[in-house]
Amino acid sequence: MTPVPFRRTVAVVVLALVALATAPALAYLKLGFDFDGRRLSLRWTRVPVPYFVSQTSVPGVSPSDFQLAVDRAFSTWAEVPTSAVAFEPRGITFALPGEDDERSTLGFLARPDLDRVLASTSFLVDGVSGELIEADIFFNSVFPWSVHPGGEAGRYDLESVALHEIGHLSGLGHSALGETEFSAGGGRRVIAAGAVMFPIAFPAGSTADRTLRADDVAGISDLYPEPGFPDRTGSVSGHVTKDGRGVFGAHVAAFHLSTGALVGNFSLNEDGEFSIAGLAPGPHVLRVEPLDDVDVDGFFPADAPVTLDFRVTYPQRIVVVPRGGDSGVVEIEVVGK
Amino acid sequence: MRRVSSFVFVSVFMLARGPVHATVLVPADLKELSREAHLIARGRVTNTQSIWTGDWRSIETVVTLEIEAALKGAGQATVQFRVPGGQVGRYRRIFLGAPVFPVGQRVVVFLGRRGTDLPYVLGLSQGVFRVVSAADGWVVSPPALLSMGPLPQAITRGDPGRRVVPLEVFEQQVRTLARGPE
Repeated sequence: MTPVPFRRTVAVVVLALVALATAPALAYLKLGFDFDGRRLSLRWTRVPVPYFVSQTSVPGVSPSDFQLAVDRAFSTWAEVPTSAVAFEPRGITFALPGEDDERSTLGFLARPDLDRVLASTSFLVDGVSGELIEADIFFNSVFPWSVHPGGEAGRYDLESVALHEIGHLSGLGHSALGETEFSAGGGRRVIAAGAVMFPIAFPAGSTADRTLRADDVAGISDLYPEPGFPDRTGSVSGHVTKDGRGVFGAHVAAFHLSTGALVGNFSLNEDGEFSIAGLAPGPHVLRVEPLDDVDVDGFFPADAPVTLDFRVTYPQRIVVVPRGGDSGVVEIEVVGK
Repeated sequence: MRRVSSFVFVSVFMLARGPVHATVLVPADLKELSREAHLIARGRVTNTQSIWTGDWRSIETVVTLEIEAALKGAGQATVQFRVPGGQVGRYRRIFLGAPVFPVGQRVVVFLGRRGTDLPYVLGLSQGVFRVVSAADGWVVSPPALLSMGPLPQAITRGDPGRRVVPLEVFEQQVRTLARGPE
């Protein structure tokens, strides 16, 4: 990647901020950072985003297997019709992910100390200009991996995990649309996920996360919208309160009664305000729930005042999302456990 | 209405270049953590120091814990363990999902170890429970995820039965689980 001259970088950042400030509403958790007194999203300002794959392999996954699986995952995101995000494969590199070489690189690394981390995405941001320079993804080679079309028992599906991590590489945070259970033989496992960006992986052998869900599509389309996307979709917004006070970190899911699409977001300030954008117009049922079954640290900064002590709540009225507009303020009162 | 920002702000001030991390996890429950840990300790964080890893490719933070009680493993006065991420000079690396340990905070940590390296927290943030003050004493947060029987059980958000538990109850659970089947 060629370094961008400083003055040009500043102009790009300013344009991005203006676009964000005029957006009607926001959906999905996005990765961002404070820079020079401003809050910026981790978002590529130029597409297609170039990437390289590392010349690494693990048992069962050759370098070419790895490259093909990763390419498929990138293509899945790029093929979302309502999003303008795009990627450009630049081939094989001998560099490893995590090296500060201004190249976004994907590859295997052995991290036995990260005993339950399958993969991770890291970003490199220019602290002078605020520009996102590179994003690397490492896959933890201490786990067994597979690229088999139908999946392999006991092995984690590389394409599924890559799809999740490429969502991060694109700037998306985690989604809370997922359910887990205690297994009969002990341990815990995912039984359903309404988003590839749910942070807990399906059990080894599953290929369920090779397909994006409505929540993922809303998120990537909100971050990189095709022209007209905001006009064709709508949003729902409101407040979540408990004992008359705003609730921070309540998960709000919107279920489309006609299509079954499920899109979620959180109340994200001390007033308990939430906004879910990128919704197909039509009637929705809302569900509000605490994030008490996953690690809050995977969603919010450690000092975020997330409230966990309340019961699941379904607001009584159906919310109609208009095309190109907002539902109007929905007030939701939750009660403690 | 006022706009709601949906950004997860994962970094504070970056003077130069600041990497962040975002992860996908294999889940753990309290039984697995208790069985896999080589040391389970309750204590108070007395120091944190961020350092470059040996290969200079990453930053991690060494946490010093003054041990109040060892629930599993040899008793000792303090223990040091490492967590990914931290800040060295103008470089800040944030690993989304990694626990952060403010000095002075009381915690119960489940630690693993490989070779002679410093111990690490099992399951990233899944192996950390905060000891917090409540109206009727010390409690452990977040509520632990623990199966109550041999059959599959759905984990339901907002379950009134899953609340923070008193510290002594939590510790008794952990000691029992750590011993394993009789």
